[in-house]
Amino acid sequence: MNYLIRGKIALVLKIIVVSLISAVLLMLTQSAFAQREYVIAGFLAICVLALALTYLTKISIPLKFFIPGILLLTAFVVGPILYTVAMSGFNYKTGNIISKEEAIVQIKVRGIEASPDGTAFDVKLGNSGTEPAILVSDITNLKYFISTEKTRTEVGAKEVTLTANGVAVAAPNFVALTDVQLSGADKSYSNYRFTYDGNYFIALEGIETGVVSRQILKYDAASDSFINLVDGSKYRDNGRGNYALSNDKAAILEPGWRAPIWFENYTKILTDPRVRGPLIRVFIWTVAFALLTVLTTFALGLLLALALNKPIRGRRIYRSILVLPYAMPSVMSILIWGGMFNTEFGAINTLFGTHIAWFSDPNFARLAVILVNLWLGFPYFYLISSGSLQAIPSELQEAAAIDGANPRQIFRKITLPLLLQILSPLLIASFAFNFNNFNLIYLLTGGGPRNELDGQIAGATDILISYTYKIAFGTGTQDLGLASAISLIIFLLVASISLYSLRKSKVLETFA
Amino acid sequence: MKNWLRQDLWRHVIGIAVCLFSLFPLYLVVISSFNANGSLQLTSFIPTEISIANYKLLFNNPTIPYLTWVKNSLIIASSVAVLSVMIGTASAFAFSRLKFKGRKFGIQLLLLVQMFPAILAISAVYVIMERVYNFAPAIGLGTRPGLLLVYLGGAMGVNIWLLKGFVDSIPAELDEAAKIDGASEVQTFWLIFVPLASPVLAVVALLSFIGTFNEFILARLFLVDMQNRTVAVGLQQFIGGQYSQNWGPFAAGSILASIPIVIIFLSLQKYIVSGLTAGSVKG
Repeated sequence: MNYLIRGKIALVLKIIVVSLISAVLLMLTQSAFAQREYVIAGFLAICVLALALTYLTKISIPLKFFIPGILLLTAFVVGPILYTVAMSGFNYKTGNIISKEEAIVQIKVRGIEASPDGTAFDVKLGNSGTEPAILVSDITNLKYFISTEKTRTEVGAKEVTLTANGVAVAAPNFVALTDVQLSGADKSYSNYRFTYDGNYFIALEGIETGVVSRQILKYDAASDSFINLVDGSKYRDNGRGNYALSNDKAAILEPGWRAPIWFENYTKILTDPRVRGPLIRVFIWTVAFALLTVLTTFALGLLLALALNKPIRGRRIYRSILVLPYAMPSVMSILIWGGMFNTEFGAINTLFGTHIAWFSDPNFARLAVILVNLWLGFPYFYLISSGSLQAIPSELQEAAAIDGANPRQIFRKITLPLLLQILSPLLIASFAFNFNNFNLIYLLTGGGPRNELDGQIAGATDILISYTYKIAFGTGTQDLGLASAISLIIFLLVASISLYSLRKSKVLETFA
Repeated sequence: MKNWLRQDLWRHVIGIAVCLFSLFPLYLVVISSFNANGSLQLTSFIPTEISIANYKLLFNNPTIPYLTWVKNSLIIASSVAVLSVMIGTASAFAFSRLKFKGRKFGIQLLLLVQMFPAILAISAVYVIMERVYNFAPAIGLGTRPGLLLVYLGGAMGVNIWLLKGFVDSIPAELDEAAKIDGASEVQTFWLIFVPLASPVLAVVALLSFIGTFNEFILARLFLVDMQNRTVAVGLQQFIGGQYSQNWGPFAAGSILASIPIVIIFLSLQKYIVSGLTAGSVKG
């Protein structure tokens, strides 16, 4: 094995591996650059440089150990965190997802009006020469023409090939799109304005109909505003990701773009009662849920550890059965429990002869969540409590017994305080874990039940993290900006809980 | 009544009661998996008929690539386990044994970073991988290598932190001796430290494997294609529908996928528990 680490062979091997990885990364850098993903391309280039410098020179020995970890952490943890921080300062929600340039294009495309008489024609998509074109059939007047963005050319009725319905499908100087091309071209064609008459042009509606329309919203690049050509009103950039009328703030043009609104998402959390109200309710439940989970799982685990702390018969069998819930993949267990709480067919109602709508009643849903988490979590505390019980020196308990303490007193005054001291970091870690126990809530109740009437998306069992997930990715309005701001607040909460507990357990002091 | 029974009666009562609690859902899954009608009902405690139709469905139906899902899960989870432990151990070793400027700052930064709830950065990760797909379709959104990379990055923080706890607990005398004998840091790491720590590393790898195997939401967001799914995401679709819940194949598939994990867990229980506590109890 030594020759792999030392000497010429090792050096050659190292150079080969580093060059191979660098070559792959360079290729990726190049294609990222070609796709104008400059940030990613820049990061990849830095990766190549860092790898080469670290492993082919003697610049720093610790870096040889750190570089792979640092690069991965930067790409998939630190990068996304910074992106989240950035997003929290933006008006980044449904209706304001795209960039300003894209928004301007879309407003232009949508800012048209059909002609007053509602003229529409059957059309066939294709190309005339190199230009995208449509072959238009005016069935009522038996007139046909080819229209591009620049020109309109009449075609005689004898020159076109008609279908049974009288729609022209082929004409000289016109090559229709094939079906395969059609599925790809649909989007770009709907952006074109095909020449018709004066101010009016033909805009596609679907792939077989062209509507005679005119532009009513015109973009004025000089003043960065849209002008309504009919009534002359002017929509200006309102600084919040939309073009709006100056005298009517609600009159905005769709779509908007993602615009920086700085701390508005944060102030919204603090001041807007529609955001603050549900958030406080969810926060209270999150804390209650995490506390109750830690208490119940610890209590049951400790009870078991005490009961089985003596080499009684069948202890090994008990132990193997008791850790089963912990050994099962939790995704499966949670989904199974979800089925067991079904009102009509669920095993829980069958077993107890009840007819409880577990997931429709807020309090029963909360009870179910706690119960399932108890099932999932007690084996962990059973295992670590029984381990810790054995770690407590028996002299202490024996000394107390000699002094005349009964078993109950010994437990309360000696064993439990010592146990809590040993286990407190784990209890706090368990609290922090359950504070963000997304899988359980998402897979078991989906955060529900939800009051359909108050229009809120927060359900009775939603914890902060599942609520935030709903804000960002839920059905209906998605608000990534607000969700990011809440994410960072959760991060601060969890980080301060953990730092406090670590400082208490003095782990941080060992860093020095 | 025999003496031992009288004395220990309460212990057995508690033991049996909690055992029933932990076994009940598992028993229900087992009988549902042998029940052909696809429900998770508790019609009777002893099944009246035993059918292996659900198991057959998983293996014989070409629209349900169950084996592919299992294979995907195993490949992704074991690659994440091995790679993240390899990369994480190197960093943990450096944090624990090497003296360099900014070490304390690095540890605190790592601690802070690993506290950020991964779920919350999901939108950012999604956008990044969507962009990566645009120029490198093989490792972007919707691909298994892409998911692997994301898992690997996400596992880094926790694993380095956990591994550092382990590395601190391994006596430094041996690698100090190696250093005195003239070994470089890299040699000490590969020739002395890794062989010494390999049992511990195996435990962390195992925890990482189980954690990845259990991951649901990223896998669900990332792997849209039927053939690319992991076993958890694949099975969930049987019961995900509001009105068409088919518990039979789900139960059968879950049992088959869980058995290896449960066996590994039970046989390595002792080490896993020490692994779970080492990261935080230390100090």
